[in-house]
Amino acid sequence: MHVDEHLEQLRARFEDALKNSAGASSLDAVRVAFLGRSGEVTALRRSIGKLPPAERPAAGQRINEAVEKMERALNDAQASAQALAVGASLSQRIDVTFPSIPPQQGSIHPMKRVMHDVCAYFERHGFAVVVGPEIEPDYYNFDALNIPPDHPAREGFDSFFLTPNLLLRPHTSPMQIRTMQQHRPPVAVVVPGTCYRRDAVDARHLYQFNQCEGLLVDEGVHMGHLKGMLTGMCREIFGSEQQVRFRPSYFPFTEPSAEVDTTCPLCRGAGGECRMCGGSGWIELGGAGMVHPNVLRNVDYDPEIYSGWAFGFGVERMALVRYDVDDIRRFFENDDAFLEQLA
Amino acid sequence: MRVPLGWLRDYVELPADPGAVAQMLALLGFPVASIETRPIITGVIAGRIAELGKHPNADRLQVGRIDVGDGAPLTIATAATNVAAGQTIAVATIGARLPQLTIERRKMRGLESEGMMISAEELALPAEWFEDGIMQFEESLRPGTDVVECFRLGEAVLDVEVTSNRVDAMSVIGLARELAAYQNVALRAPDLSNPGDGAGGPKAEVTIESPDCRRFVSQIFTSVKSGPSPAWMRIRLALAGQRPINRLVDISNYVMLETAQPLHFYDAAKIPNHHLIVRDARAGERFVALDGSEHELTPQALVIASETSAECLAGLMGARSSEVTGATRELILESANFSGPRIRRTAGQLGFRTEASSRHEKSLAPALTAVGAARAAQLLAQSGATPHEPAAFGPPLSAPEPIDFKISDVKRLLGYELDLQAITERLDGLGFKVEPQADSVLRVVSPAWRTDVTCSADVIEEIARMAGYDRISSEIPAVRAHDIASGDYRRERKAAATLAALGYREIVTYSLHGAHVYEKIRRAGLEPPVRPVEVQNPLSEDQRYLRHSLGPAMVTHLARANAPARAFEIGHIFYTEDRQPLETSMAFFAFSAEPHDEPEWRDSHFLRAKGDCEAFLRAMTGESHFETAADEREGFHPGKTGVVLMGGREIAVVGQVDPRLLRTFEAPLPIYACRMILSTLPPYDVPQFKPPSKFPSTYRDLALVCDIDLPAQRLENALRSAAGSWCTAVAAFDEYRGAQVPAGKKSIAIRLTLQKPDSTITDAEADAVIEKAVAALSSQFGVTLRA
Ligand SMILES: [Zn+2]
Repeated sequence: MHVDEHLEQLRARFEDALKNSAGASSLDAVRVAFLGRSGEVTALRRSIGKLPPAERPAAGQRINEAVEKMERALNDAQASAQALAVGASLSQRIDVTFPSIPPQQGSIHPMKRVMHDVCAYFERHGFAVVVGPEIEPDYYNFDALNIPPDHPAREGFDSFFLTPNLLLRPHTSPMQIRTMQQHRPPVAVVVPGTCYRRDAVDARHLYQFNQCEGLLVDEGVHMGHLKGMLTGMCREIFGSEQQVRFRPSYFPFTEPSAEVDTTCPLCRGAGGECRMCGGSGWIELGGAGMVHPNVLRNVDYDPEIYSGWAFGFGVERMALVRYDVDDIRRFFENDDAFLEQLA
Repeated sequence: MRVPLGWLRDYVELPADPGAVAQMLALLGFPVASIETRPIITGVIAGRIAELGKHPNADRLQVGRIDVGDGAPLTIATAATNVAAGQTIAVATIGARLPQLTIERRKMRGLESEGMMISAEELALPAEWFEDGIMQFEESLRPGTDVVECFRLGEAVLDVEVTSNRVDAMSVIGLARELAAYQNVALRAPDLSNPGDGAGGPKAEVTIESPDCRRFVSQIFTSVKSGPSPAWMRIRLALAGQRPINRLVDISNYVMLETAQPLHFYDAAKIPNHHLIVRDARAGERFVALDGSEHELTPQALVIASETSAECLAGLMGARSSEVTGATRELILESANFSGPRIRRTAGQLGFRTEASSRHEKSLAPALTAVGAARAAQLLAQSGATPHEPAAFGPPLSAPEPIDFKISDVKRLLGYELDLQAITERLDGLGFKVEPQADSVLRVVSPAWRTDVTCSADVIEEIARMAGYDRISSEIPAVRAHDIASGDYRRERKAAATLAALGYREIVTYSLHGAHVYEKIRRAGLEPPVRPVEVQNPLSEDQRYLRHSLGPAMVTHLARANAPARAFEIGHIFYTEDRQPLETSMAFFAFSAEPHDEPEWRDSHFLRAKGDCEAFLRAMTGESHFETAADEREGFHPGKTGVVLMGGREIAVVGQVDPRLLRTFEAPLPIYACRMILSTLPPYDVPQFKPPSKFPSTYRDLALVCDIDLPAQRLENALRSAAGSWCTAVAAFDEYRGAQVPAGKKSIAIRLTLQKPDSTITDAEADAVIEKAVAALSSQFGVTLRA
């Protein structure tokens, strides 16, 4: 058969295939079948070899022309198929209000989040965060903190004892001593961690709780710096309008000592019938004060040269206020609804 | 401490609003826990019963004509039986408001009653602490006197919290002094001179045999009359929460509440030779206290004894044997000072606490002994007793140590400046003596009643309290650079963030638990820890042990959910080594899952857990390739547990939780868990970039038949090393066991990816590498290619 006849039949089959194809993928199949490496056109080209040498260039020329036409036709068909597909996609309408498919997501415990936020605030101001053991000898818990045996203040730290002089720390303050023993001033640290006291458990009290301790010792550190940092911290944790109030108090390891209150975030200090603050407009955060000169002496710091402040706040209590939680025990119950809501 | 506001007002000018007083106290460091407002009572006056007779129409009623001062006497009927002509009583007049009712004109059995005789209860006083029936006053109370005003019954009662360093302020005068100084007004203290001074007369000798008695003032009173206290004192004590007993006991309580100095009165007739001895109790000595409680003493206790027996448990309570009674005509007053720790230890040991011991154990100032004795002598003299010369025993009172402090320290610690005059004024009001020295130094001497001010920081706190803590400004300090590292904390924080990102929810559980955890482990046929860390003084059996693992609480938590859940915890665990309780910081994550329908030799949940573990470890260490070795670990399934190694060192355990434990912990779904000791995780090592080859890679999938026990990881490692440097990845992706391979064999499908750095790899080159690698595997493990 003559090349032309072959070409003619091929073109007819090509046009049939083109007409019967629908969509981009079947057009690809047509391209492979006719123009691919082992497609029909390749077979036809091979058959040119059987022609007398003189006829070969002309036959090749005609095949090339046919291939060009087929490619053009294919490209056109492909372009219109794509246009059709985009059109079809554009006409789709879905219900965007249908519930989303949630990602597999974890969460940070709300108490820990408050702890991390407090630490992050102090880290931004140049404080390091140190953590320490929960089992401490009484020297670090008491003696070094200016609470000798028989001191009435020991009663406020009703502790769990493991041996006659090892106990579960009732506060994070032992790390004040450990840090100051290992470093010379300036010392700027916060200490988050778990503490234990033999307290009866109720909606406001736990026998195990977390504390965040802060300590800054250097030359020229005064109580105004304490108030400034705590005000900043409260604004970070509770809101930008927070105020901080100091009231005189007593702790053996600080002098002067203060109870620290912050504006009740629920009533914004208005008080009244507020269930969070009992109407006072203030929330008690915990104790603070200037490090007692005896504590500084116990770590060989000269209290005539160095001064410093420390504070210790309960983290669950801060979280309770921040998230308006009704019962502090929830922070240890890990109820799914609780963790989910505050995730 | 309950402080009736009316009592405070005797000694200091105060604002009318109790809230304002409470606020002032709070700003002085004495927070007010509650303000108990009194009910509004009006129209109650003192009346004297001029005549009393039977009601004409009722047997149970009496009718009195009551003299109420100005105006005509009132005719009032009453059902009370404790009334008699001549008594001065409480009368509610027409229109009077009482807590429960308003008095109106009414007829009682046909007779018009012009008011009501009323009881203590109707004045909102505790009925059980006062006489049954109508409230009785002294004859000295003028008829017509407004009872509420006279006894300040309308004044609120403040519940004041006093910190343990300020035992001097556990008293009405102490608090009044604070309020006076703060407002810069005068303290109107009562007369504190002792009427017995210079009076001579009998003395009670005291022999002090223990250094724990630092001061003892004794004083003898004769012509003592007992009977009830005057109404003002009974009312005041009742409002302060102290039950009135009799004139003598009430005076000792009253003086303690007012001056902080506890007292004790002995019936002098019961003390041979009026000689008291302060000594250690004898072992086994029996003691019956005033309240009837019986104690067997040890030498730990300090007693005040007569020559024959212990008559007072020092600082705690007197003995019944020498108690003052209605028959007492002579008494010996004790106003003593004891070592605080000694009293606290004794009270703790005997499980016995009193108002007196709560003051003594905070170490009162020895100088207060004379103050307490003087005030008591004043009150006893007022009641008609004759005071004799007081006698003081014990070492002489030491003068307070002067404190030199630099004025500049005020600014150094408080951040604001005060001048000499301001400082002096503020300290003066509190009773401190201030003497300026050279070089801007002040010499400060504490008043005798203060023992808590011993260094310049203490003085500065006094100045700050008086100036008001509100004066302290807010400043952000410029923290100087230091070399304290946050590594351990940041590791914990990063671990938590990573696990949360992997879909685990953080939980926080208690570190203390009871024996029930070990019971569950034992019932699972497993061994609980041999030497758990035990609390010596738990509050309850549920808090006796410190957790040895985060596992039990995690399994308990996941067991509670009915659906698959994922959680993690970061916290300390505790164990004993060489008899020392030790602890370490752990991370523990786990999930529960519905079991897959899989052959018994495969568990894709385990592989997921391992994948999470590797992702976690990669985030923590920067390393991307980890080896795992099958192993057994307590609490984990013996055949589904691996230890993850880095550089040959174990850094994590991952596996299914032992199903026997799941049964005893009642966990409905299988649980897969991973635990890591946070402190042993290698530090983060920043990964370094290696540019990938620009030339295309190729891969070959091999189906290798090998011994059933050969771990896939060994095949992968062998293939990797045999394939040489062109091999960029080796990964097993399928496993087959069954009829199509010989018994004892399995087939593992592994994909090798090959790539050359400098040119496109040819098929022939790839085939040659594979051939070499398979030959190596064949000689190492007898592996064949699956047909
Ligand atoms: Zn509020």
